[in-house]
Amino acid sequence: MRHLRAWFVRIQGLFARNRRDREFAEELEAHLQLHVEDGIRSGLTPAEARRAAIIKLGGVEPTKESHRDRSGIPFLETLARDLAYATRMLRRNPGFAATVVLTLGLGIGATTAIFTVVNAVLLRPLPYPEPDRLVYIAMSFGEPGDHVFSYTMDYPAWKNHSRTLSQMAGYMRFQANFTGGGEAERITGAYATRSLFPLLGVQPMMGRTFTPEEDRPGGPPVAILSHAFWKRRFGGDPSVIGKALTLDANTYTVIGVLPATFLIPDREESNYDLWVPFAIGDTGKAKEILLQVIGRLKPGIGINAVRSDLEPLMQQFRRKRSVVVSDWHERVAGGARRPLLIFLCAVSFVLLIACVNVANLLLSRAAARDKEMAVRRALGAGKGRVLRQLLTESMLLGLLGGAVGLALAFWGKNLLIALISRNLPALDPIHLDYRVLAFNLGLGLLTGVAFGLAPALQASKVQLNESLKEAGRSAADGRSGHRLRNLLVVFEVTLAMVLLCGAGLLLKSFLRLRGIDPGYRSDRVLTLNVNLTFSQYPKPLEQTRFFQQAIARIGVLPGVEAVGAGTSIPLGGYSMSVSGMTIEGKPDTDVASSLVMVSPDYLRTLGIPLVLGRYFVDSDREGAPSVVMVNESFARRFFPGENCLGRRIQNPPRKTDWTIVGVVRDIRPWPQVAAAPEMYLCYLQAEQVHLRMSGGEMGSEMGLAIRTAGDPMNLAAAVRSQIAQIDKSQPVHDVKTLEERRAGLLAPRRVNMLLVVTFAALALILGSIGIYGVVSYSVGRRTHEIGVRMALGAHQGQILGMVLRNGLELIAAGVAIGLLASAGLTRLISSELWDVSATDPWTFAAVVTLLAASGFAACLLPAWRAARVDPTRALRYE
Amino acid sequence: MVWQGTLALMVLQTLDALGPLHGYGIARRIEQTSGDLLSVNYGTLYPALLKLEQEGYIRSEWGVSENHRKAKYYKLTRAGRKQLAKEAHEWKQATSIMDRFLTPAKEAP
Repeated sequence: MRHLRAWFVRIQGLFARNRRDREFAEELEAHLQLHVEDGIRSGLTPAEARRAAIIKLGGVEPTKESHRDRSGIPFLETLARDLAYATRMLRRNPGFAATVVLTLGLGIGATTAIFTVVNAVLLRPLPYPEPDRLVYIAMSFGEPGDHVFSYTMDYPAWKNHSRTLSQMAGYMRFQANFTGGGEAERITGAYATRSLFPLLGVQPMMGRTFTPEEDRPGGPPVAILSHAFWKRRFGGDPSVIGKALTLDANTYTVIGVLPATFLIPDREESNYDLWVPFAIGDTGKAKEILLQVIGRLKPGIGINAVRSDLEPLMQQFRRKRSVVVSDWHERVAGGARRPLLIFLCAVSFVLLIACVNVANLLLSRAAARDKEMAVRRALGAGKGRVLRQLLTESMLLGLLGGAVGLALAFWGKNLLIALISRNLPALDPIHLDYRVLAFNLGLGLLTGVAFGLAPALQASKVQLNESLKEAGRSAADGRSGHRLRNLLVVFEVTLAMVLLCGAGLLLKSFLRLRGIDPGYRSDRVLTLNVNLTFSQYPKPLEQTRFFQQAIARIGVLPGVEAVGAGTSIPLGGYSMSVSGMTIEGKPDTDVASSLVMVSPDYLRTLGIPLVLGRYFVDSDREGAPSVVMVNESFARRFFPGENCLGRRIQNPPRKTDWTIVGVVRDIRPWPQVAAAPEMYLCYLQAEQVHLRMSGGEMGSEMGLAIRTAGDPMNLAAAVRSQIAQIDKSQPVHDVKTLEERRAGLLAPRRVNMLLVVTFAALALILGSIGIYGVVSYSVGRRTHEIGVRMALGAHQGQILGMVLRNGLELIAAGVAIGLLASAGLTRLISSELWDVSATDPWTFAAVVTLLAASGFAACLLPAWRAARVDPTRALRYE
Repeated sequence: MVWQGTLALMVLQTLDALGPLHGYGIARRIEQTSGDLLSVNYGTLYPALLKLEQEGYIRSEWGVSENHRKAKYYKLTRAGRKQLAKEAHEWKQATSIMDRFLTPAKEAP
């Protein structure tokens, strides 16, 4: 207690310093005077009395000094003095200060920006109460990847009998056509059990959440709106509670609105438009309702206990599956960890290179300040004192760099987020919080020490005698300073090399992926999806009629070259797979293939080339023989070495009998996935080909592909209005060009690649600047020597070669170490690579060439300057 | 030769006995009480006073001395009085223990 108080008083003592010093001097003076007067009173002469008093009381100055030290905090005062001095030094060298602060600011800014994302995704807990007790429960069949659960089968037993979870909830995404009040819209909602909102500790902003009656099969249809949806579709109507809305032609009553901050941290979807009770989906039919399950651990229960608790509760015949329990945050963010750590690694390399450059700059400057240091030492400053002052200077630089970096990160993070948000799970808005600020501050101090320590140590080792003599060569300028600078350059080249190799590999795999021929022509194609409300279009005939009308109307729009519809346009919609069919004459074959239903012009519109036979024609309609087209993979798989035209694909129990009339080229919608067998059916025959497997819904969900003469997006509005004219309650969604869809698929890789390539480019630039700096410094230092060499008959070419050789030796050393390091480190990104080995020799060779070329360029200018040295002037130089 | 802890105790005791006093007065009183065995100079006195003040046991203010000279007067605070009682008690205890150790002969029966 008393110590604390004393410290508090000492901190106060930091202020009003001068007044206190003056007062203390007065006090001592009074003491002396009283002493002297007493002496006089006892019979001494004034002079004697004064002399005796001074002898007795001791030195005034040391007392003052110790008083000063004790009444304040000398450490802070020295720091303040050093800081003031450092500020003055920097102000006197604005060019130097700006270079250092900007270089560091760039490095720290990039690092801070990346850390901001790392913090938001990996470090910050989920935005719910007691987030560490939230678990995600999935199912495994023993193979990689997990699955969701059955609502009807597993969930009720678990919910009622679990001993390890205090709460449990399920939810599942769905899409539906929302109508009423303006344009029809395809919305994304979610089914949720009643327990979801209490489990997440969410209170509705308005109204209420589900009641037990609503969370039960056959319960009343109610809906809870998200804040954004309420604003967008209901204009933020405060009296929305109790109003009705229509989803897929069913009416729901609005019972609540969620707060704006509510979100579910999923990868694809963060803001569901609305929520309906889970039990509504449970119509009691055989169709299983699946759900994603989350739970809250009871206090004191470990995550591992949950599995053995839940597994015995699974229905007997389903026991071959196992339960996988994971931390919810880990489940959501885990996938983003590796790319984020790769970014953090890459960006810290850039920061290190920036530090190395600054260290080199400081080393050169230390040589120039040699004399200043020698004078300080000569005047009595200890080695530690000099070291401390220099470190104060470099930390000040580091902190200034940190401040610039923070500003950069603040502006840059939005750019970064716009770029990489697609790769991240939806979590809280990413912002700068105390952790980011602490990180930034720490980084500033750390870099200050990192780049300042070596030069400061170097400078504090100054040789007094040598430096004080005018012509003496200083220590920092001597052999050890030189070697340190060279080592730093080698280190820098090594870092740049590793980063460039990683970037090169990512770039190459991206180019490989992008270069894959998709098998269709993606230019000038507008695509969109229409999911007909099934209850309004339950029959394939009605579905087909709708799309026939759409195709006819769009086909006559000016600028449209061709229109096609298909259940799975490349990169969108869904594909259906069938199995259990056989081939006529090959009863043992099990035809497993994916299945797409298309309009006659679909394949032609997408530019998928015909290999054999014919495309569908308008006469392939109900009543005509059922026909099917297959792709090359199908033909190869099931008819190796045979002609498949005219062969029949059958499923006798279902009375299916399709004749193959054409073979088309494989398409490869997902570049990462190899082409597989595929069948195309003509949707004009939808009724007779009996697509019961989808409950008749298959033909209600179609994508349209429109090949246009000009920019496809120009037609978007016209196409929308044509479809609205057929039935305005059927929303059009995902209106994009085919190229956008394709690019969207590669976007995550593109972003990863771009970021790492950007960092590598920064590293290359900073590295080249570093090489340039060191070589030109050494040329400057050796001007005299070069002059002597030239006076003794060296050619310009020889001088040029000498300087270049020195620089290139450093680069070669860095490249050699960098190659080894890269070979070891690129393995860490092998999971991000595609069709490129982590030690791809071509990439490595290209990187070596690039580094060598830019290093050469960086050496060339100083070498050129050295070669043009005028010997007569150089000899006088020094 | 005075060590810090005892000097602080002496200062507190002096201020308790004589009331507010300036540095010179404190020094003289300590020297006199010790029969001039102790000699108090700037270097020992003022750090001790500063420490006591920082710990809140004494307070200081400017005043005028008996011969009309401006001087800083030190005054015991309530905390200082408590501290004095506590330390004096501890000190007495310590010295009585030491006494018993150093004069054992009397105890022999």
